[in-house]
Amino acid sequence: MFLAWKELRHAKGKFSLIVVLVALVAYLVYFLTSLAYGLASSYTNGINAWSADQIVMTKDANDNIMMSVMTDDDYDSIVGAEEVAKVGLFPAVIKDVNAVDPDLTKEEVYAFGIENGSFIAPDITLADYEAVVDDSLQELGYEIGDTIILAGTEIEWTIVGFVSNATYQTAPIAYVNLETWMEYRFRATIPVLLFSAVVIKGAASIIGDNLQLYTIQEFINNLPGYSAQVATFSLMIGFLILIVAFVLGIFIYVLTIQKTPMFGVMKAQGISNGYIGGSVIMQTLIITGFGVFIGLVLTIISGIFLGGFVPFAINGLFYGVITFAFFLFAVLGATFSVKAVLKIDPRIAIG
Amino acid sequence: MKKLIEMQGITKDFLQNDDVIHALKETNFYAEEGDLIAIIGPSGSGKSTFLTIIGGLQSPTTGKVLIGGEKFSRLNMKQRSAVRFEKIGFILQSSNLIPFLTIADQMFLHNKITKTKPNLERWDSLAEKLGIKKLSKKYPAELSGGERQRVAIAKALYHDPLVILADEPTASLDTSRAFEVVKLLARETKALNKATIMVTHDERLTEFCDKVYQIVDGVMTRKK
Repeated sequence: MFLAWKELRHAKGKFSLIVVLVALVAYLVYFLTSLAYGLASSYTNGINAWSADQIVMTKDANDNIMMSVMTDDDYDSIVGAEEVAKVGLFPAVIKDVNAVDPDLTKEEVYAFGIENGSFIAPDITLADYEAVVDDSLQELGYEIGDTIILAGTEIEWTIVGFVSNATYQTAPIAYVNLETWMEYRFRATIPVLLFSAVVIKGAASIIGDNLQLYTIQEFINNLPGYSAQVATFSLMIGFLILIVAFVLGIFIYVLTIQKTPMFGVMKAQGISNGYIGGSVIMQTLIITGFGVFIGLVLTIISGIFLGGFVPFAINGLFYGVITFAFFLFAVLGATFSVKAVLKIDPRIAIG
Repeated sequence: MKKLIEMQGITKDFLQNDDVIHALKETNFYAEEGDLIAIIGPSGSGKSTFLTIIGGLQSPTTGKVLIGGEKFSRLNMKQRSAVRFEKIGFILQSSNLIPFLTIADQMFLHNKITKTKPNLERWDSLAEKLGIKKLSKKYPAELSGGERQRVAIAKALYHDPLVILADEPTASLDTSRAFEVVKLLARETKALNKATIMVTHDERLTEFCDKVYQIVDGVMTRKK
């Protein structure tokens, strides 16, 4: 620690440059993580808000909730759940009827049909043709009391409230009651209840072979593009961590090789391999520590400035795992330098 | 007088292109408390081999080295390293100073490694005697060659070793500086009851030494 720290302080310029490099890559990694997590969250916020365990759709829907249509008979064949809630789900395009040019206010949303009082419903009771929408629409100029028309239909809804983080597949959610949803989904008034899926708390089982039970995680993984996107980001982040560890490892290795004569003298003086190698590792850890810290601070600052413009979400667990990975791989990279130290022959100090 | 370091029947052979090189032929040698001993000889004579073996930097082919009466040369690398750390002080040709440590920190590195408190009293008295007190906050690069070697002497003595091994300690110094450094070395060797073994090619320095040995083609003979 003593040697490691004294050298860093003595050669501030040299080590600052290395710290800057680590900081920039760490920044990139944390930033990408936040974007990836933000994007993934905007796929699933609406689902996670349910705090549910399972979901049931029809088998014929082929994992696609938009294609699933269930009846009360299907609903009755679900047994053993703690709580159940019917949900209708269908994409829609909304326009602000009273805008100067309604076409300029077009927004893609997902219409969620819910039953008032069910565990997935917003806190407000929704009368017919009333909608509670994600607050991102508020930022786009929609207000409470606005009448929205569903594009391609004559159906009009009134916005009666906003909720935050209500997104599905990156688009805002519009909650309406199930009857209102059915009228839009089927473009008709239907005397029986039809819905897309049943959301379940607890562990249920189903009787009847026309239905399929998914865990919520399975359901999320089946969302179009979700798994591929998560895999892409994870790979990028993983490789970036490996690259920075590799680059840092090379820097430390070059510095170690440059110091061979000095280490030779130290070994002649009887300073152990353990102490010298420990100093090299410690130096790596200090550089990584500073770099990661600066990267983290930059990320948080960026997050504050970017709030709202792009899906950006901070997740302590991911940050923790990434930080741990940074340190782990940096130390692995430094082991090459430690090996080089072991090989130094103290005889080089003489003659 | 107590023998601080001793070589018994040491030889060192190398194999070079299938030829056996006798770098050091049978050598018996000892140094007592207060001894300042010069080892002289032309380059390639075996001086460096002698120094690396007596300092435990390599093993002899036959024979043994005793330091403070304890067998040293047959220990493994790690154990020899620990013995060196405790019982030997090195003064090396260019300088054995670490570029990024201040002069005082060069001394205290030993304490950091052993997790002991810096011996400020000892450092003060050494610094006083060697005239380097005002350098304590400077870095090696800011010192002159003579100052650096005086600091190196202080560093070699700081941890109170039994034996000082010096490899061409005056190599980078002019004559008056060289004499000054060797006189200091002689004085401290006597005052602190150490044994100092100095390898040098500069025969003018031998006048300050108690004993002088010459190595030629691996054979060591006493000259004084």
